[in-house]
Amino acid sequence: MARHPDTDLVPYLRGELPPAERERVARHLEECPDCKQDTELLRDLLGNLAHAIGEPPEISWPRYRAELRAKLEARRALVPWWRRPMPLALSASLAGALLFVAVWGGRELTKSPDAIGPEEVAIGSELGLLEEIRTVERLDLLEDFEVINNLDRLASERQG
Amino acid sequence: MDPSDEALCERVARRDEAAFDLLVSRYQERAYRLAWSILRNGEDARDVSQEAFIRLYETAGSFQGKSKFSTWFYRILVNLCLDHKRKHKWWKLWIRDDDDDRSDTILDRQPAPANDPVDKLSREETLKALGAAVERLAPRQRAAVLLRVQEDMATYEIARVLKCSEATVRVHLHRALATLKKTVEKR
Repeated sequence: MARHPDTDLVPYLRGELPPAERERVARHLEECPDCKQDTELLRDLLGNLAHAIGEPPEISWPRYRAELRAKLEARRALVPWWRRPMPLALSASLAGALLFVAVWGGRELTKSPDAIGPEEVAIGSELGLLEEIRTVERLDLLEDFEVINNLDRLASERQG
Repeated sequence: MDPSDEALCERVARRDEAAFDLLVSRYQERAYRLAWSILRNGEDARDVSQEAFIRLYETAGSFQGKSKFSTWFYRILVNLCLDHKRKHKWWKLWIRDDDDDRSDTILDRQPAPANDPVDKLSREETLKALGAAVERLAPRQRAAVLLRVQEDMATYEIARVLKCSEATVRVHLHRALATLKKTVEKR
């Protein structure tokens, strides 16, 4: 006997199998009492299911449609942020900020490359110390602590 | 002659409000009933089915007419229901939902009573057990059964709604009905 057509029984009962398949299932049911009994049970079950599932609680359809319409309007009002009109105060603030950046940025760009800032002046004042870097590299920090302390004087003595 | 659902959907894509209202009127009851069958809660079913109509309005332009409008719309609806169930599963395990409409409605909505009261009671109990067993099915199995039983959909249509193969739908139906059959046989 061919395999039991378990998964074909529901489509068979609904009459949606192509003729060849339908014929095969029908022939099987004639030969197999178990499948025949299963098919009858399925037929009853499908008939009972419609009643077993029942019906939902009744609702007012005009109210349902009014709610739906309100929800749809609310959804339409939800325009993406980049497409929403901007409030005047926010627009003005943004425009001001852009103008400030443009003017300040322009001034920074037009500044002379030779202009010296306060940090650069401070570094320049320590240049004398940096000139003695070779001496510093040769020192043992613990033993020549006194020399390090007097590096400024050492530099001025050399210049003198 | 009334315009077809597909023609109305094309008009909705062009933002024809009257066409949208007509489609809502045609499908509101079926959408609400199917959502309720999956979710078993009236308020959730109303919200989710309304959301399905909003999605229909927003995405009508993507309907290409390759399948029936109903199949396309039910796909939106069933996906929303399954998503809703997934999102609310964790807290429903924790808190019993008192708004569930499942327990007090089945007996009231049965067809004409049988003559024998014992038979009637037995049938009512069986239907009640069957209804409860449907609720315990896996979500996709339940959706397949409901589309088959309530919407009388063919296997290929259910496959399109659930975005799976026809063979998978047949397996879903077979397993679901085998489970339900055991429930009936136990009684």
